Amino acid sequence: MEPKKGSSETTLGFLSVTEHPQFGLFGGYLVLNAFGRPLEFHCTAPLKPNRAQEILYGPTLEEFIFGEQIGRTLIEQSGPPLIVFTDRRPALAARQYVSPPLALVLSPSVAGGGTQSTDDDEKIYRIDAAHEGRPRLAHFRYGRNRLALPERADEDRRLIVERLSGVDESFDLFEPFGRIYEAIEEARQAAR
Amino acid sequence: MIFHWHAPSPPRTASVDLKFGAARPCRPLPFEFACPRVVSVPIAAPAVRARSFRFVDSDAARPRAAANHKTRPPSAASAKHYISSSLKSITYTRLKPPSDVIKLSDRLEYLLQPSLEAILEENSLAFPYRPFPFQFEGIAFLYPRQAAILADEMGLGKTMQAITAIRLLLRRGEVKSVLLVCPKPLVTNWRREFERWAPETPAMVIEGDQAKRDWQWRLPDVPVRIVNYESLLRDCSERMRFDLVVLDESQRIKNRSSSTNRTVASISRRRSWALTGTPVENSVEDLLGIFEFLSPGFLSPEMKPRSIGRAIGDHVLRRTKEQVLADLPPKLVRDAAIDLTPEQRESYRLAEDDGVLRLNELGRSAAIRHVFELVMRLKQICNFDPATGASAKLERIEADLEEIAASGRKAIVFSQWVSTLRVLARRLERFGPLEYHGQVPSHRRDAVIRQFQQESNKHVLLISYGAGGVGLNLQFVNYVFLFDRWWNPAVEDQAINRAHRIGVDGPVNVTRFLMLDTIEERIDAILRQKRELFEQIFSGADDRRKLGLTQEELFGLFELKCPAGPIDLAA
Repeated sequence: MEPKKGSSETTLGFLSVTEHPQFGLFGGYLVLNAFGRPLEFHCTAPLKPNRAQEILYGPTLEEFIFGEQIGRTLIEQSGPPLIVFTDRRPALAARQYVSPPLALVLSPSVAGGGTQSTDDDEKIYRIDAAHEGRPRLAHFRYGRNRLALPERADEDRRLIVERLSGVDESFDLFEPFGRIYEAIEEARQAAR
Repeated sequence: MIFHWHAPSPPRTASVDLKFGAARPCRPLPFEFACPRVVSVPIAAPAVRARSFRFVDSDAARPRAAANHKTRPPSAASAKHYISSSLKSITYTRLKPPSDVIKLSDRLEYLLQPSLEAILEENSLAFPYRPFPFQFEGIAFLYPRQAAILADEMGLGKTMQAITAIRLLLRRGEVKSVLLVCPKPLVTNWRREFERWAPETPAMVIEGDQAKRDWQWRLPDVPVRIVNYESLLRDCSERMRFDLVVLDESQRIKNRSSSTNRTVASISRRRSWALTGTPVENSVEDLLGIFEFLSPGFLSPEMKPRSIGRAIGDHVLRRTKEQVLADLPPKLVRDAAIDLTPEQRESYRLAEDDGVLRLNELGRSAAIRHVFELVMRLKQICNFDPATGASAKLERIEADLEEIAASGRKAIVFSQWVSTLRVLARRLERFGPLEYHGQVPSHRRDAVIRQFQQESNKHVLLISYGAGGVGLNLQFVNYVFLFDRWWNPAVEDQAINRAHRIGVDGPVNVTRFLMLDTIEERIDAILRQKRELFEQIFSGADDRRKLGLTQEELFGLFELKCPAGPIDLAA
């Protein structure tokens, strides 16, 4: 019998987006149970923004595609988990459409402390009213994991810290994204 | 969303009072503008189509603190349970779906599992020592497969990998009854290894008289049964049903028409695994025999070695020590080419001339057994002169053992004949020789190994290929002598790898005696060809040379012509 949507009582969501040079963007969302086992996997068909969208959304295009389009769609496929983690900064924009807190997990392979810049911090953004750039991130550590949230998301940070407070700090929250990439690739090849 | 763009609206008319002198009439000028054109660019949001896969929560029944996040965020205590240690591990070995898993959701279920290390940790599966990464890969290979051959080179821990995969399947409820079939001398080794690597798993050895065995077969809820091939042949019945059947030293079923092959293939089962360091001993037929058990019809005799190599790719995992154990001390193999003593040379010449003469006299009625008899006789003369007991090999090994004993090291000596080992035991008395062969009762063999390991004055263990070729762990030995050569390079490798395996504390020196200008030299050439065959199948090389030994080649050892067509030679 197929399990019910969002039937697990304690779940974590992991959201990612990967880009294929030929087909475009693929979103993947993995819901894990209390033992790190997969309960649900949702993935999108490939997306490619058109030229008009690229011009008119400008530097906010990624937030729109990763967050509103892909992130929101995928997270809503399932019951809300305790926390959603993503490894793609623009996907944080999905937070305004979904109920669980959403945190960015920074790659453990990038050396440095909790205040280290993300790759996007090096970009230059227009500073007029319409394009003030992405909100700055507040970094914090959870064990060996480096997490980040928008600076003004104090309530989310409180929730995340509370929900992670009893968890062994050696947990690797970056590992499930590797599973997502493999699953997206498998689904893409199966669709050919 | 539609984006509109237009210019600001201009005045529709304009009046200009142009006065040029007095009382001139004024005329309004029409000043009409066309309506501005509006360009609308639709910015349709990309339609996001999502595909969903849902999996059975096999952990749902496991005990943990209830914490429904929808109404009540978990407390610190209950949160301990919600992210388990499954995400702890530093190294990750991923489960890959086998190629015969077709359905996408099934393939994704494998891909999306946590790493094997995490699963093992999560299931609280403790180990006596942390497995090597390549061993995790072997477990991850076996775990999802219905039909698999783990063909690692000897000494890489096939036993441990199989036990751990079985343990995991049992723990997760994916199998409930496992039958492990192995050669008789290895039964106690398997029981010991189960106690070591899966102490929580009861493993019952099927043994004793018929009545006891019948009772053992009927017992319900026995997760693992261990049985030797001979007992299985006697006891096998249609009632037997297992979730998994594992064949150790599966080259035992290489002959497709043998009763052993037919018996194991008849057992009702869901999964079939084979363990062997030598999936091909003589010819590709060997592999066909094993696949007849794993997946009948998957291979056909018409297939070429390269095609077979491609076809079996997903079902066979083969690693060599050179590939996976960069830190393993080297294995130094040298062929000790020695001249016969004059006494041996004379006996050899007489025996060969006489034997060839007899074969010629037999003419078309000469059979393989006649050739074998001659080969055996000549090989024995290469060991010892039957008249005087002179032996060039013995002289050489005595010299080597002097040095080995002086340095406090230990050596093992292999021969195919117990009689040879007995002579060696007498002649090498000063080195404290111990014997391990078919005439040593099974219950005493473990004690022999312990004595050899523990007593410092026991420098040499004399082993027959038959009794000691498999299942022995002699990592404390640094010298291996092949006093005479076996027909089959795989058996020789098995023997060498008793010492050259994980845990060995220094280089292993292997000496293969080879008497010049004798049958041993000619056999050596054939062994080299067999090694090349193995490489051809498992490395994908395209070598179209003839594969098995033919009757022509066998007779060719004595420069005789073959009386009949080609046959395969069983070693």
